[in-house]
Amino acid sequence: MAPADGGGEQPHKAHRQHKSGAKARKKKGKGGGGGDDDAGGEKKNPKAFAFQSAAKAKRLQARSAEIEQRRLHVPIMDRSIGEPPPFVVVVQGPPQVGKSLLIKCLVKHYTKQNLSEVRGPITVVSGKSRRVQFLECPNDINGMIDAAKIADLALLLIDGSYGFEMDTFEFLNIMQVHGFPKVMGVLTHLDKFKDVKKLRKTKQRLKHRFWAEIKEGAKLFYLSGLIHGKYTKREVHNLARFISVIKPIPLSWRMAHPYLLVDRFEDVTPQERAGDFSLSGLTSLADPCPLPSSAKKRGLRDKEKLFYAPMSGLGDLLYDKDAVYITLNDHLVQFSKTDENDAPKKQGKGPDLGKGLVKSLHNPRFSLNEKLEQSSIDLFGTKSAAQAKDVPANQNDQGDANISEQADGNNISNADTLESNEKSYSECSSDSEHDNDIQLSDHEVGLREKVEFFDGRLRRKAVSANFKDDDDDESGDDDVDSEDSGDDQLSEGSVSLDDNEEALVDSDDETGNNSKWKESLLARTLSRRSANLMQLVYGQASTKLDNIRSGGNDSDAEESSDEDFFFPKGHKKQTKNESTSFDDMDAEDYSKFFKAELRDWSDEDLIKSIRDRFVTGNWSKAALRGQEINENEEDDDVYGDFEDLETGEVHTSNTYENRAGNGDAHKQDDLAVEERRLKKLALKAKFDAEYPSYIFSLKEEIAIRKQMNISELDELDEDSRVEVEGFRTGSYIRLEVHGVPFELVEYFDPCHPILVGGIGLGEENTGYMQASLKRHRWHRKVLKTKDPIIVSIGWRRFQTTPVYAIEDRNGRHRMLKYTPEHMHCFAMFWGPLAPPKSGVLAVQHLSNAQVPFRITATGWIQEFNNTARIMKKIKLTSVPCKIFKKTALVKGMFTSDLEVARFEGAAIRTVSGIRGQVKKAAKIEPGDMPKRKGESTEGIARCTFEDRILMSDIVFMRAWVNVEVPTYCNLVTTALQPRDQTWQGMRTTAELRRAHNIPIPHNKDSAYKPIERKVRKFNPIEIPAKLQHLLPFKSKPKDTPKRTKTPVENRVPVLMQPSEKKTYAAIQQLRLLKHEKARKKKIQDEKKKKAYEAEKAKTEQLTKKRQREERRVRYREEDKQKKRARR
Amino acid sequence: MGREKARRLSGSRHFRQRMVLATLTSTAITIEDIRSGGAAPGLRPHELRYKPGVIVGGRDLEHDCGVHRGIGYFLEPLILLGLFARAPISIRLRGITNDTKDPSVDTFRMVTLHMLKQFGVPLEGLELKIESRGAPPLGGGEVFLRAPNINSTLKAANWVDEGMVKRIRGVTFSIRVSPQIENRIIYAARGIFNRFIPDVHIFTDHRSGSAGGRSAGYGVSVVAETTTGCLISADATVSYPNVDEMNEESESPELTSPEDLGVQVASMLLEEVAQGGVVDSTHQGLLFILCALSPPDVSKVRVSQLTPYAIETLQNIHDFLDVKFIIKPDPNSNTVTLKCVGAGVKNLARKTS
Repeated sequence: MAPADGGGEQPHKAHRQHKSGAKARKKKGKGGGGGDDDAGGEKKNPKAFAFQSAAKAKRLQARSAEIEQRRLHVPIMDRSIGEPPPFVVVVQGPPQVGKSLLIKCLVKHYTKQNLSEVRGPITVVSGKSRRVQFLECPNDINGMIDAAKIADLALLLIDGSYGFEMDTFEFLNIMQVHGFPKVMGVLTHLDKFKDVKKLRKTKQRLKHRFWAEIKEGAKLFYLSGLIHGKYTKREVHNLARFISVIKPIPLSWRMAHPYLLVDRFEDVTPQERAGDFSLSGLTSLADPCPLPSSAKKRGLRDKEKLFYAPMSGLGDLLYDKDAVYITLNDHLVQFSKTDENDAPKKQGKGPDLGKGLVKSLHNPRFSLNEKLEQSSIDLFGTKSAAQAKDVPANQNDQGDANISEQADGNNISNADTLESNEKSYSECSSDSEHDNDIQLSDHEVGLREKVEFFDGRLRRKAVSANFKDDDDDESGDDDVDSEDSGDDQLSEGSVSLDDNEEALVDSDDETGNNSKWKESLLARTLSRRSANLMQLVYGQASTKLDNIRSGGNDSDAEESSDEDFFFPKGHKKQTKNESTSFDDMDAEDYSKFFKAELRDWSDEDLIKSIRDRFVTGNWSKAALRGQEINENEEDDDVYGDFEDLETGEVHTSNTYENRAGNGDAHKQDDLAVEERRLKKLALKAKFDAEYPSYIFSLKEEIAIRKQMNISELDELDEDSRVEVEGFRTGSYIRLEVHGVPFELVEYFDPCHPILVGGIGLGEENTGYMQASLKRHRWHRKVLKTKDPIIVSIGWRRFQTTPVYAIEDRNGRHRMLKYTPEHMHCFAMFWGPLAPPKSGVLAVQHLSNAQVPFRITATGWIQEFNNTARIMKKIKLTSVPCKIFKKTALVKGMFTSDLEVARFEGAAIRTVSGIRGQVKKAAKIEPGDMPKRKGESTEGIARCTFEDRILMSDIVFMRAWVNVEVPTYCNLVTTALQPRDQTWQGMRTTAELRRAHNIPIPHNKDSAYKPIERKVRKFNPIEIPAKLQHLLPFKSKPKDTPKRTKTPVENRVPVLMQPSEKKTYAAIQQLRLLKHEKARKKKIQDEKKKKAYEAEKAKTEQLTKKRQREERRVRYREEDKQKKRARR
Repeated sequence: MGREKARRLSGSRHFRQRMVLATLTSTAITIEDIRSGGAAPGLRPHELRYKPGVIVGGRDLEHDCGVHRGIGYFLEPLILLGLFARAPISIRLRGITNDTKDPSVDTFRMVTLHMLKQFGVPLEGLELKIESRGAPPLGGGEVFLRAPNINSTLKAANWVDEGMVKRIRGVTFSIRVSPQIENRIIYAARGIFNRFIPDVHIFTDHRSGSAGGRSAGYGVSVVAETTTGCLISADATVSYPNVDEMNEESESPELTSPEDLGVQVASMLLEEVAQGGVVDSTHQGLLFILCALSPPDVSKVRVSQLTPYAIETLQNIHDFLDVKFIIKPDPNSNTVTLKCVGAGVKNLARKTS
């Protein structure tokens, strides 16, 4: 259990309720008498209990209003459009709790497939519009942080028979810092309980502890036990139901920063430093795990129950930008060999050609190796493409599903059948490609086989410029082009498009020359786009096209000045300020635009031309002006889909489907839209009437904004949309990153998935950040300033040396040597900047060594701060070297006169509390003091005080100095070393001391010693005679002479009368009697007491003995119980 | 870390925009070859290295803008920086308030500040006070600018409806010349405007003494306000030439008469109105930058034909913010509609509590 008591080192004082006194009496009175009677009375006579005090009524109303307001949240705009990305379910728990088994069972439930092992993320299609990605959270703190950053739902597995473990609480804390996703607890190992009652009790106990941590009523799921090594089907089914209904929470960091989970690599590179990398390539890929078609049906077909787990050794298909890979087993390599023998027979050509091809393949293989040296790693996201929603793609996907399933069963037959489907290729080319396969697979036996799956055939991917050239040269075949196009088709997953493909390939074969048709196609598509003006502005089009365009514009421009917004890039504008030309690098910077010449606006025609632009003109005509745009847009949408065969992307415009598809649909759509709008309006009116609140107006605004975004973006064709908006959330994309260290690949472990996060503008710079930080209450020690800690902010994780501070009342940031015990403090550190409000999580070590709680501190970023200074108090001390009346010369505070000059006017103080001020630098005259050898007269300050100081006084000045924050930042590179090694960053001073056996430096002046205060001996006061004379008599010292004789009362004896004597004797006797009685009583009491003590000791011994027995019995019982519980 | 290398640029062109965009995106830039070929080479160190930090802002700042360019030249970037500063900015600028090359402070006050309203900047915090006026060549004007800093981001604008002109307002100024000149300007301008719309008010602002700066000059700035709240402006100033130009042209040039100035400004404004668009040609660049800075929603604006300055602005935006505009011409109304998804630039400098 959690050390809620704060561990042994921090005993907290328990709260003690008052048992007596005014407060206790008050409470007692309230609790005892009032409660029931009040309720009864109120029921009987409610009017009597109406508000009698306006203040109270107001207070109650304010309270209820406050509660109401607290319920509301400022709505957040979710900018993701289109199909949702896979829902990331992170399965987390301590080791041996059953994480992998749960994933396996869930995958089995969704796809009816058995997973042998869980490595890396696994994506399954769980519903018609939902995909779920399972990720097993590694047990080291790094993996936990990464997993928490991307989780949409965290399943916290808890060993029910053991109870909560620290891992769970750590993970919860990480999630709290980095944005809290949905959380569900899962209790496992419940079959270890034999006793039903005990099981029930444990469940209850764990549930309430879980609630305390998250919220009242948080879901805790129970997995009762295993059947045949699996969780029971029914329970897994129920769990899947729970998972399917959970909606992801929009988290601000994730909404502002793109991220993806890497599921595959490609190349390796020479060594580089790790850090931030900019993308050098970004392309969208076909989704390996797309959503099913939107056809109206219930549930999913078996074919649509896809899953994708590239690292788990299942799902042998790998999709790439220009290829699809299938993982083959060894026996398939042999199959290729046999095929090699067949190939020449089929072809009817000599084996020479085959050899040539092989040679040609050998060359590029080496060049590919060379390429590997200089190129990069490709990272693949598993977030799938949202644009795979058009119908053909869906059909294709079904085809893919076929393939993958067959591939699972038997690869050989699969290849065969697919080959038989292939028609468009001449036998020659297809077989030659088979040859290539064989050779390559021979070439790298023992490596993981990556074979390209291309139009039903298996081939090795070796796409390099050299290869293409060689192939062209040798065989004279144009299959390179057709390859490309074909590949791309397949990457879109085309089985159903076979016909089209054939046609295309045929045409390719006919033309032979690839460049011509491509060019014409490119020109055609480009000319049809509305991007003409964009090309002019951004200068993208090829020079040829640009020429055409600019030529055309020139002719236009001659006609009238109105057309000259078509002026090209590099076309000089003939304006008044001729120096403003596009070519002039150093042109003057004017925002004002000067027209060439002004027209005479008294001309009637001109007046007429803009009459309608004024409210005095025709309003209906003016209204037309806005509409023209819409018509125009429709004209622009004449082209709908087209396919760029060069890149193989199919461009589909949604507008095409919606509008140009068929007119009726258009009309119907319009009607439906109108109807929906009206419905919405009605709903809105109803809502407004019910809740006329600010929040709802905000929500409405956001909804309108989002609708507008969608409509505006859907107007664009796919290409320009991507250009403007970027890839949509949920796209399956390929990133190309250069300069990534090779260790990333070398030490890649699929169990530790790689997370690629994007950062915003201004977040790539390094600088000082100020965070508000609080030591975690379960962490055992306070943190020391400038001791390195590892912080996780945003996507990043780095080691840095913070300086802790606290704000004084005057706004000064005062350095703290250690973090406060139970408070937030500032932490200023250097590192890559993160936007304010992002969460900060600090850990001290990354090792899994058994520390009670690995999370050291939590907090959030407050601001970037380049200037805010942290100050430290410093006390300069000095001693007086000469004292005048109230002025003294002090030395030792300053080292030079210049320093004294700097501190003129500064406040100083003596230890005894006499305040003063620094005046000026002073020199000691030679006569004043004997000058000691080597003593300098520099730095002596003349100071004045409010009273005369003593030579024994110490004068000190309180000053503040700036504390430098070390510019140390070390990125945590755990991905670049073997996972079993612990990442070692900078060590703390204490660790270094321990490692090198250096004792802690000790200043003996700092040690506390008992204060010895000598008793000061004061001489008797001597009052001057003059003063004595002036004093009143009372205060004057009296001069009494010394007596020589004893006084008379001591000398003379007293003689008593007989009666007096009698009385005296009687009193004497009585006193004696009393004394005697008392003495006797005392003796008796002592005796009694002794007896009592003896008796008491006896009983005590007995009690002790009994108690010891009882305790022993109890402990034995408890131990037994504990043992039983653990079992 | 990351992109350690500074972005290399060359030439002094778009110095302002480059600096502003570099600051807002915190990109380090190196500018080389500033006026390398020119007779008068530019900055002393031949290349400029600039590594932006945090925009601080603050109160009671002062700056002397010199007499080479008008204050309008400095105000345009300043207002952008002010929006993304840590503290609200208030600054006193000294120099030339009205000149022929840069937008006058009157236009800035009447039009530019109101433009920010479309992007969610409250008008309350925005203020431009013209303390004194100064014309070239000696200047001597002083303005006081106050601008708020935004909380997180701007708001994306959907600003395509240009509306119809419902009123025309303006202000003339005269310094160290007869106040009568202003009436002559107004008379001439009204003569043209009255053919279109009767609601024309042009105010006069005669400054004398210390408020009148150190050089003589007069000018006018007019604004057409449309039914949808768009402001189309034109301004012109008559003054003696700038210090830079003075050397080149030794003989004193012919100055435009007040009547001609009035006609000229009126024609300029009508030309702008005829061109259409929600802003005039001067403000296109600023409008695009604001659109590009707004959050990742679709901003849609309509402008008249793109000026060279606007085109270069678009290119700079593409370079620095990686925001590309979809530019669609509308031949019927002779305007251009621009659409973009903003870069979502946030005010990171502002402190959170």
